[in-house]
Amino acid sequence: MSILAILIPISLVLLGVAVAAFIWAVRRGQFDDLETPAIDILADDSTPRNASESQRDTHAD
Amino acid sequence: MREPTAADPVSTAATCCYHCGEALPPAFLCVTLDGAERAMCCSGCAGAAAWIRDAGLDDYYRLRQRDGSRVAAETADFSAWDRDDIQAQHTRDIGAGREVTVLVEGMHCAACAWLIDRALHREPGVLEVQANAVTGRVIVCWDTAKTRLSVVLTRLSALGYTPHLAPDEALERARRHERNTLLIRLGVAGLGTLQAMMFAEALYLDFDNQMPVATRDFFRWITFAVSTPVVFYSGWPFLAGMAREWRQHRFGMDTLVATSVLLAYFASLIETVRGGPHVWFDAAVMFVLLLLSARVIERLARQRANAGVDALARARPALAWRVAAHGEREQVPLASLQVGDTIIVAAGEALAADGELLDAPAQFDESLLSGEPLPRLHASGDTVFAGSVCRGAPAKVRVQRTGQDTRLSHLVRLVEQAQAQRPRLARLADAVAGRFVIALFGAAAITALVWWWLAPERAFEVTLAVLVVSCPCALSLAIPAALSAAQGALARLGVLSVNADALETLARADTVVFDKTGTLTCGQPAIDAVQCFAAIDQHTALAIAGALERDAGHPLAQAFRNASPGSAQQVQVHAGAGVSGCVDDVTYRLGRADFSHGGSDDGAIWLARDQQPLARFTVRDTTRPDAVQAIARLQQLRLRCELLSGDAEPAVSALAMALRITHARARQSPEHKLAHLRALQAQGHVVAMVGDGINDAPVLAGADVSLAMGGGAALAQRSADLILTGDSLRRVPEAIVLARRTRRIVRQNLAWALGYNALALPLAALGWVTPWLAALGMAASSLLVTLNALRLTSAPLPCTTESQ
Repeated sequence: MSILAILIPISLVLLGVAVAAFIWAVRRGQFDDLETPAIDILADDSTPRNASESQRDTHAD
Repeated sequence: MREPTAADPVSTAATCCYHCGEALPPAFLCVTLDGAERAMCCSGCAGAAAWIRDAGLDDYYRLRQRDGSRVAAETADFSAWDRDDIQAQHTRDIGAGREVTVLVEGMHCAACAWLIDRALHREPGVLEVQANAVTGRVIVCWDTAKTRLSVVLTRLSALGYTPHLAPDEALERARRHERNTLLIRLGVAGLGTLQAMMFAEALYLDFDNQMPVATRDFFRWITFAVSTPVVFYSGWPFLAGMAREWRQHRFGMDTLVATSVLLAYFASLIETVRGGPHVWFDAAVMFVLLLLSARVIERLARQRANAGVDALARARPALAWRVAAHGEREQVPLASLQVGDTIIVAAGEALAADGELLDAPAQFDESLLSGEPLPRLHASGDTVFAGSVCRGAPAKVRVQRTGQDTRLSHLVRLVEQAQAQRPRLARLADAVAGRFVIALFGAAAITALVWWWLAPERAFEVTLAVLVVSCPCALSLAIPAALSAAQGALARLGVLSVNADALETLARADTVVFDKTGTLTCGQPAIDAVQCFAAIDQHTALAIAGALERDAGHPLAQAFRNASPGSAQQVQVHAGAGVSGCVDDVTYRLGRADFSHGGSDDGAIWLARDQQPLARFTVRDTTRPDAVQAIARLQQLRLRCELLSGDAEPAVSALAMALRITHARARQSPEHKLAHLRALQAQGHVVAMVGDGINDAPVLAGADVSLAMGGGAALAQRSADLILTGDSLRRVPEAIVLARRTRRIVRQNLAWALGYNALALPLAALGWVTPWLAALGMAASSLLVTLNALRLTSAPLPCTTESQ
């Protein structure tokens, strides 16, 4: 039963990570609009976005 | 983009603008999209389409679900938005730049949001864009050093989306914050419950008590650790609700929920500490999760219904043009407008304050206030109201009332008061639940006392079993589960439920009262009859009238839209009278009889040449195509239908006749309508009201349950319990059928939950139920109730078989 002493703390850590990820996603507005992103992947976006956008992409998203 | 060509071989087949879907004028433009020539009605639409194509965003046309909005040919001026006083009020500093939330008119579907997002991102200096089609809001962050807000907004409006300032920036943020917090609570509840159930499962599977006590306690403490945030963080809305109810000295549903959760939680904690035979952490967290999901679903549905209409109802222009003492004009924020100031309102703009019309007569579209679809002509000296839109020529107005004193604000308050008086049903449910909780505590106390006297060593165990077995989970789930399932079914029908009690009242309704204009009729004028007098046929008369009206941009022009017009020259608009112009070098006059040929005004529109009447058009509102069916179906459901209208007697009785409505009243002001409603209610009728205009808003709020048409005025929707998205009246009987089914399911659920508790309570009190069995019974009971409620979503929604 000593394996429990390792597995349970691991599951608790994973739980913490999952909760943190969820909170981050909500705060970033990932759940604000549940319809537009579905359309996003249907459209090709070959033209690059403007400079400020691609700059921001590297660190923020 | 090519020059205007009227005889293009490809696009002559098209009758509508490819971008906005409006009828094509005789001289239209063409834009090549996807290798095909597409017809555009005006340079605005053509410009937008060409820009979309050149930006590589023409996927928009494939993705969109409906036509775009017509793009104004001349660009609006947004330079006022760059003013410091406006920015200080409506935007927020975010370090790298500023952030603004704008309400956007014309953003209908996800494709619009996609287009706005992509298009604005291409503007240099735009840092971030979040467009949300559901709430009709766009959040833009921009770098103040690289661009100005007005530049970004000009791009937005050039695509056909008109931006408005959000009335209250802080309120917007508070609302988003509240929604996000609720989502996080739900997420924590979901993840926490998952883990707690997993650990609890390990304990449940230990059938023969073979687990070493140390391992068992370890599991219990872990479950405790995982459950604690769920109970106290995710369950906080219920705990706070209980505290609120206690401060008001009453026991409601929140008390019931919070007590059950806390009891299960603390009883488990005590059992863990003293090493008792069983714990029920899983029951506590599951209860929180189930009830919180029901609450979130309901809240999101309501927010969805409210978000757009709510803000637009309050959206007034943020700026007004004030005429200073020396005659020069200055643009001032609304807040600094004083009574006695003179303001100028441009054609197409909304009036910022109530006031007295100065100088020339002017036309105002008061549809927001009165529901009247056609603009009204006001003479100099008349009072005009904030929220009405100036048509034709600019008007000068002396301000009489501003802000909270305007008629618009007054109507909003009237609605709010009517809404505040109504939570009768909610109070009833609370009262029942409150009594149930008190009875439950009484029973538990008696059990504890009796067992203490008979067998003190079993007293705690038996009392706990009583509390757990009779934990009114099923009882408190019975109504929310059925209601949230019904919400889903309603949304699929195309009905948004704003008020949670609406369905229950709708099921009891025995009378349906309809408004006429915009509800049973389309609210848009159409030509009813054409009479020709001289050597002219009906077709030619319509074509000439169509040509005159088209280029005049007159509101009645819509009626002549399908008349395949030619083109007219020298068109002159005579405000409130008609239009004159040349078609094929002959001068015609179209309008009221006194204007066109010097006859006496009879309400019809006359076409005349050289004072000789040629044709007489009667214009009438067309009946909705499905109105007859809907009324017949309602009568089949044994509902009494009534018609109340502000219109004149002949029009109302003709419509009532056509639809076989026996009770019809004409010339009803909102006060009359409300009085009639109260009289019906006094006779014991439960009244459902269907309407669309702002003038209906107080009546809608006063009815037992109200339905607003999706295309109607924003304030009407705000005061309604249910909103029909789209314009099909068939949804009214369908919603009533669904409401009755929901009522049946709620009754079944309540009967089961009460029956189960009535049976289980005595058994537990006699000591025949172990707490373990009690927890299982409680969970099974809740599950049964939930599954029963889910029948509402899975069952087909027949319009023919169900009736009660």
